[in-house]
Amino acid sequence: MTVSGARGMFSAYAPILVVAALLALTPLATSANTVLNAMVLALLVALAGQGWNILGGYGGQFSFGHAAFFGTGAYGTALLQARYGLNAYVAFAAAIGAGAAVGAAIGFLSFRSGLRGSYFALVTLAFAEVFRIVANASPFTGGAAGTLLKLDVAPGNFQFASRAIFFWIALALVTLVLILTRAIERSRFGAYLVAIRENESAAQALGIDTFKVKLQAITLSAAVTAAAGAFYAQYFLYVNADIAYGAAVSVEALLAPIIGGLGTAFGPLIGTLALHGLAEGAKALTGRIPGIDVALYGALVVLVIAFAPKGLRGLAARLGRGLSTRWAS
Amino acid sequence: MTKHRTGISRRGALQAGVGLATGAFALPGLARAQATSIKIGILQPLTGALAFDGQAGQLGAEFAIKAVNAAGGVKALGGVNLEAVKGDALSTPEGGVSEVERMQAEGVCAIVGGFASPICLAASQAASRYDLPYIVDVGVNDQIVNRGLKNTFRFGPGSSIVSAQALDNLVKLNDAAGKPIKTIALVHEDGLFGSGLAKLLETELPKRGFEVIESIAHPTPSRDMSNVALQIKAKNPDLVIPSSYYGEFVLLARTMQQQRIKPKGIFAILNGAASNYRFVKEFPEAAENVIDTNHWYDPRNETAIALKKEVDGMGKFFTYNVALNYSAVLLLVDAIERAGSVDRAKITAALETSTFSKHIMPYGPTKFVNGQNTGAAPVNTQVQGGDIKVVFPDAFANAKPIFPVPA
Repeated sequence: MTVSGARGMFSAYAPILVVAALLALTPLATSANTVLNAMVLALLVALAGQGWNILGGYGGQFSFGHAAFFGTGAYGTALLQARYGLNAYVAFAAAIGAGAAVGAAIGFLSFRSGLRGSYFALVTLAFAEVFRIVANASPFTGGAAGTLLKLDVAPGNFQFASRAIFFWIALALVTLVLILTRAIERSRFGAYLVAIRENESAAQALGIDTFKVKLQAITLSAAVTAAAGAFYAQYFLYVNADIAYGAAVSVEALLAPIIGGLGTAFGPLIGTLALHGLAEGAKALTGRIPGIDVALYGALVVLVIAFAPKGLRGLAARLGRGLSTRWAS
Repeated sequence: MTKHRTGISRRGALQAGVGLATGAFALPGLARAQATSIKIGILQPLTGALAFDGQAGQLGAEFAIKAVNAAGGVKALGGVNLEAVKGDALSTPEGGVSEVERMQAEGVCAIVGGFASPICLAASQAASRYDLPYIVDVGVNDQIVNRGLKNTFRFGPGSSIVSAQALDNLVKLNDAAGKPIKTIALVHEDGLFGSGLAKLLETELPKRGFEVIESIAHPTPSRDMSNVALQIKAKNPDLVIPSSYYGEFVLLARTMQQQRIKPKGIFAILNGAASNYRFVKEFPEAAENVIDTNHWYDPRNETAIALKKEVDGMGKFFTYNVALNYSAVLLLVDAIERAGSVDRAKITAALETSTFSKHIMPYGPTKFVNGQNTGAAPVNTQVQGGDIKVVFPDAFANAKPIFPVPA
């Protein structure tokens, strides 16, 4: 590897490792499970958002139905354990595989039909809804009663007494996907994806196999979001159709990257931390007025879309540039 | 700010040091002798889809806390007052878990509430990590108490108790009226409680001599129930058994009224509206004569009557959530009194052996078997003359059933 290549590697991956290392210290800074639980939830949403970001942020394929993958991950790990007595870790891996398979199937069907833009968004939404209804009605998934995992706290069961361990696992997953996303950014595959986002017809004309690239992206994207779902099931030990395939998941998965910065590695993480931080802060400051966090969510989305279309990360970069030019002059 | 104010003076430091030292010596004894208040967690879905129920539940718990404090607090601990640590479960399980974590951090000695089964499942499990006693108010899913969590107690009846009771009462009601009911149509929401109940009824009703001629599922929310009403009209059943949440049943009842569909009775099970004062007040004609099998307060209990008057006076509805949470908080206070401590293990032990009977529910004395209060039972209510009356069982009834409904 050339020197500049090594330097490039360093500047690409070092920030990820620094952020991960700083976040990893959280359990040492606070032993409050309230904070840790909130952080685990935030990381979960970030992970789901990271999955969405691969397809939506880099590839420009806006999905409104990432719940389909989240839910498959959640149900996958829950059912494999509850019904077939599989080891929790094996079930976790299998659930990610199942999510990826569902992603590939949905991608195959919709991209083959040449669905783009809002049509693709609507089809993914429809798939998630169909999954929700089937999961709600089918006796296999426990119907509307959902699937309950047995509470049996033991490391071998992927159940830990300490919330800190769950936190570190969630952080490890998020970090892994950060690295993966950065690697995609720097790869030929990533360049193809961006080309498709910017102008799909032009990309095709340049010889990019757009169908193949999009299919790879949705599979990867689904696998990441499925990991978030599987982790959810393992953390709360309960899934039902609304939790797994509900529209709320799809919305959260796309909100985080949009707020944080579409098509950037850190976007989803920044977005969720900002949203959740704001919500928790608002709750604490206003003396817990019910619903205040949701109202703030809405306000923040409006503000970001109006004033920072490139997300918080874009806003920060713009402010940074503004300051440096002022100093320079 | 001036400089000498920002720095810590030597005198200030000394004072603080002395203060801390005395505090450190005095505090353990003080805390044991007289805690300033006993914190109990009141967990309800205050926002989101279940906000109406959650707010009613919180109101009931607040009334109970107020009553206990007005009567001199917890006597076994020297008259210490109760303090509510309120939490909003956001109508989701993870919202419930987050609030349990916060309540644990704020040092509650037990948690009451949850309302919906998924919230109760997740929240009671989160509380079990800390051996924190958790009293479920409503959540009827039987898995809540069947998981073997030592900390979880359900004061109200579970769905198996409710459905068994509903079937028994239906047979009694029908027999007493000369068996006018032969055919039944089930209308149920397609979620947790509706489908489960429908499945059970489809197998159990034929065993008791009824014919189920139609089983209609509908999603929640539904904005139009005319199709369901038309299906009922086409089949013309003697009885309709609806298991839906508030909005859908109100729509159905109104549509049936508009289309002049008049079965011999509407016999609801755990219905969201059939025994709700809001429905009776807003649509008295559609509500008239509807029977429900549900949680309800004891209409002969004087405390309940006084409480209802107070809630009515606030312009709020005295739903079963108010009565159940009121009673569940009193149950907890009784356990704390008998435990003589806010120690979690002692409270749990006291709950296990509870024979609490000063509640305002139509229950016998409390007796927990595997976390389920076996003294709990639903009652049958009927809307009569714009009011909700208890018509079954006789021990708690304040009216006779009108059945079959005169055409």
